Amino acid sequence: MSADPSTEDAVVDNFPAAPVPRTFGPVTQTDIVRFAGAGGDFNPLHHDPGFAAEAGLGGIVAMGQFQAALLAGWVTDTFGITRLRSFEVRFTAPVRIGDVLEIGGTISDVDDDAGTTTLALSVQVGGSPVVTGTAVLRNEPV
Amino acid sequence: MTAPGADGPDGPVEIDRVEFEVERGKIGEFVRATAVQDPIHRDSAAARSAGLADIAATATHVVVAGHHRDQLAFVRALGLDLPRVVVGAVRWDYERPLVAGDSLRGMRHVVADERRATRTGGSLRRITLRTDYLDAADTRVVRVTETIIERSAS
Repeated sequence: MSADPSTEDAVVDNFPAAPVPRTFGPVTQTDIVRFAGAGGDFNPLHHDPGFAAEAGLGGIVAMGQFQAALLAGWVTDTFGITRLRSFEVRFTAPVRIGDVLEIGGTISDVDDDAGTTTLALSVQVGGSPVVTGTAVLRNEPV
Repeated sequence: MTAPGADGPDGPVEIDRVEFEVERGKIGEFVRATAVQDPIHRDSAAARSAGLADIAATATHVVVAGHHRDQLAFVRALGLDLPRVVVGAVRWDYERPLVAGDSLRGMRHVVADERRATRTGGSLRRITLRTDYLDAADTRVVRVTETIIERSAS
């Protein structure tokens, strides 16, 4: 445990007490298409403006898996992928071209008996959440 | 319609199945697309020092299954109207990180299919899908649980 008494009971060894958030964007159509190329989601809602307008979404929206992957990447860059036990996201608002994403989270619980640390996560645009999430980390990596 | 958690006569209904290799180049595409920085995803030495056999895939790599699925067949099988479909939530449960060279099989099942009335008098359909990804040793390495929502027809 850390010698700093303010974090002694809150944070596991080697876990940052105040993880540094990350920004991504402004999101471009290229960003969305690049993720489609990686993942294979070619739903026209994400690249065809006419289709997106017809669907009543007010224009192209990013696939939720894109913002989920950005958030997961922040978690694993910050805490280490070998500690990741579970990652869960809920999509609360669409992400659009031009949005600047604020990606981060805080430690919400440390369970020494279970050997896990829980993170409360969010992706926000202009201070409003577009994704909320939870990750559970193993205190000891696999 | 399947009640939440209920099984058909042969267990939850399998909706599709995919098989793929976790490839180095594809890991690199996800690293670039998602601004991931940890060298464990690019540098074999960094991965080995973390106890892994090869570079780690990024956490949500199995979305690559989108390349191997027939989305139109899936939409037809579930009777969905694509422009009204959104993903509500996704959960990943990990046994270990995926690494380059892993060979995976993913079986996707419908575990719940519910309709509920909305306040505006329409109806909302909520489908829960679960995919277990097994490695070459038939060990489950990742489970993905997705909730997709079909909005009310206007």
